[in-house]
Amino acid sequence: MTVRATVLGVIGEVAEQHDKHLAPLSDNLALLDSGLDSLCIAVLVAMLDDRLGVDPFANDNGALPVTVGDFITLYENAAA
Amino acid sequence: MRNVLVSGGSRGLGLGIAKALAYSGFRVVAVARKLGDHLPPVRAEIEREATGALHFRPYDLSNIGGLAELVKGLSREFGPFYGLVNNAALGTSGILTNMKDAALEELIHLNVTSPIALTKYVTRSMMTGQGGRIVNVSSVVARTGYSGLSVYSATKAAFTGFTRSLARELGPLGITVNAVEPGFVDTEMTHDLTEKQRAQIVRRSALKRMPEIVDIADTVDYLFSDKARMITGTTVTVDAGTTA
Repeated sequence: MTVRATVLGVIGEVAEQHDKHLAPLSDNLALLDSGLDSLCIAVLVAMLDDRLGVDPFANDNGALPVTVGDFITLYENAAA
Repeated sequence: MRNVLVSGGSRGLGLGIAKALAYSGFRVVAVARKLGDHLPPVRAEIEREATGALHFRPYDLSNIGGLAELVKGLSREFGPFYGLVNNAALGTSGILTNMKDAALEELIHLNVTSPIALTKYVTRSMMTGQGGRIVNVSSVVARTGYSGLSVYSATKAAFTGFTRSLARELGPLGITVNAVEPGFVDTEMTHDLTEKQRAQIVRRSALKRMPEIVDIADTVDYLFSDKARMITGTTVTVDAGTTA
């Protein structure tokens, strides 16, 4: 499974677990407009650390991703 | 078996908490700088008699930069964590004006920054499971005065604020966060007390005695039980009524 597919899959899982209505996902969609709140995003990062073995936010450097596309790219780069 | 990390779990109150939780069926991972002499016999007893387990992993908790790897390694070895007891702390005493700046920083680093960072990483491990429990070991001196413990008191008061807000943050995930506030308990940390101070503490207590390690450990054990599932964001005082 590609990193993109894993990230999108886990976003769906988190939304379901937390009863959030997910907006149709596209690369240009702002992460905060996706339907996930900040706690959901924290859970998403923890789950992706489990699945992909990477945490791109661990070193406290770099800008936080704004869009779903930025978020996926961050994981693609970290997992590369 | 549910995994619980107990910081400073190799002796004193931490070991007492680790023992109580292992008897309640938890797999406890005690983390401290050194194994020491106190844990091995307790571990042997738990292997014989308890339904849970007690493991020890050495780590210097003042090394905050290595906490993420520590928790990742433990999660790989034992599985995700269900609980955390932030017990490790320094009890350095001294009149504030005489304390060295390095001692102030060390107290705040080990008693506040380190457990908060440890909580960050262990909570991530809990987030992927079904709920969890966090207990922060505070002290009655967080809200009562005791000469010579101003910095220590400040670190313990920090814990109670941390407890309340984190309980709000993690409540939606079914993770409870509470603090336990012991009075003066007979441990290595309080061995500096003189007989006179000890007698004064006993005299001031409603029950005319000092709580023992088992009294604090049983309270933590209760907060970890299903019976305490609706308790979060609070502080439980176990001081034999000294602050009543």
